[in-house]
Amino acid sequence: MTFKVFIVEDDEMLLSLLEKFLQKYGFETFCVKNFDQLLIDFRSFQPHLVLLDINLPKYDGYEWCKQMRNISKCPIIFISARDSKMDQVMALEYGADDFITKPFDYEITLAKIKSHLRRAYGTYSALSHQRIIELDGLQLNLDRLTLTWKSNTVELRNTEAKILDLCMKQIDCIVSRDQLLENIWDDQAFVDENTLNVYIRRVRNKLDQLHLNGALQTIRGEGYRLTPIWREII
Amino acid sequence: MKLFLQEQISLFVLNVLQLSFIILLLWLDGFHELQKLVYPIFFSFFLLLLYLCYRYLTNRTFYERLSTPVQSINTFNRKVQSSPLSQSLGKLLKDQSERYRKELQSYKDQLDQHIQFINQWVHQMKTPLAVIDLILQNLQNKEAGEISYELDRLKKGLDLVLYTSRLSVFDRDFFVEKLNLESIVRTVTSDLKRLFIRKKLFPQFQLEPSLTVTSDEKWLSFVVMQIVINSVRYSPKDSKILFRSFHRGKTTVLEVIDSGVGIPASDLPRVFDAHFTGQNGRNFHESTGMGLFLVQKICQNLSHQVEIKSIVSKGTTVRISF
Repeated sequence: MTFKVFIVEDDEMLLSLLEKFLQKYGFETFCVKNFDQLLIDFRSFQPHLVLLDINLPKYDGYEWCKQMRNISKCPIIFISARDSKMDQVMALEYGADDFITKPFDYEITLAKIKSHLRRAYGTYSALSHQRIIELDGLQLNLDRLTLTWKSNTVELRNTEAKILDLCMKQIDCIVSRDQLLENIWDDQAFVDENTLNVYIRRVRNKLDQLHLNGALQTIRGEGYRLTPIWREII
Repeated sequence: MKLFLQEQISLFVLNVLQLSFIILLLWLDGFHELQKLVYPIFFSFFLLLLYLCYRYLTNRTFYERLSTPVQSINTFNRKVQSSPLSQSLGKLLKDQSERYRKELQSYKDQLDQHIQFINQWVHQMKTPLAVIDLILQNLQNKEAGEISYELDRLKKGLDLVLYTSRLSVFDRDFFVEKLNLESIVRTVTSDLKRLFIRKKLFPQFQLEPSLTVTSDEKWLSFVVMQIVINSVRYSPKDSKILFRSFHRGKTTVLEVIDSGVGIPASDLPRVFDAHFTGQNGRNFHESTGMGLFLVQKICQNLSHQVEIKSIVSKGTTVRISF
């Protein structure tokens, strides 16, 4: 089942970035270009979820939210630079279900969308698209947290998956330690230089378990590089 | 009363002179039976006394107002008695106060407009920042990382402007609740992770997980962020910034301890002054001098105490007591 997302945002660049991002994850999107037609388009598109900015031409986001609420009970998520408590409370009072502040993170946005869809429409495993990165037979599944190669699968911890995600997206390129640190830094985890070393060691262990020893190389003074040695192995 | 009496002295003297003059004339004219004059003199003074009493009672507010110092704008709106002097003064003061009130109001309106403009502008600036951020999230390479770092600086700069302008209308966006201190500190350090990583510093936590404080989340987070930015700025590579929280009697305390360059004792008493950059500001060229000023003002508004201790080349400790 493909979920439909209705995006109301007047900055064109932001609109196009959001659209591309959501389409990549298998959502069908409608971007509002003509604000006079907004409610008509809303009615005909019948979205499962709405992303709504506050600073808009004609009426502000709160007003649009109210009007959309008269038509549908679908989840509405506000996106705005306004971050005061009053703004957030107002958004919820007007009928929104959540609030994301700009600048925002792709991952967090996706997680929130999924969570609201799950709550409104039941299980989200109906989402056809799982986050999978595949490179010449090596498959990293970010939703299941597994790494698979040649019908062997290892399970990964969250942090290990993040490291592999970063390295695979920049396959055969050097990923700096700083970049890795930034990625694995988490509110709850205690992170320092040593923590990174420990996790790199763990990732290497997992790769070893798949008989891909040496794929993750240390580049002195720069960072790490994941080389696609599995391309050579038959 | 004192003012009244001071003023009436000349009238009293005039009365005495008048009477003396009349007595003198009568005496020179041949009238020598002074005992007969005792009653008229007495009566005359009695009349004078009655007059003075009447004068005082009808102008009491007038004299009172003239002798008491002005406490506030509202002093001008007290009731007036019906005597001509009182009325005139009353009207004069009322006119003056109206004029000042109008002028004050026009400044308040200007300030409101200015704050509104700043709010709108900052929020509009955040949209292009969000766009750049999203593009960088798609790129994920070395240059993207460096641009992200600068983007963070821009965002922090915008927040600084926003909070500074909100400070003058603090009570408009002020929401008090019970907050978990550890989670506030961790969220702030997480927001600043790029800064920590770039400067090769790491936070160390000795925070009591159950400690809660009563405060406003946004303002408190901003305060902690300013303190941490300072600590990071003035600390050497590979050192740690320690966050401690504990109970001390009835108060809860949060300490941010760094082992950086420290603040010279001569600068220490002035660090909370606006625009003060001191020795470190001159040596490091990065300060606006507003960080600690905002920290103190916000803490005052939240009824928290902030203290700072420092030893040059050893480090600095900033302590917030709730």
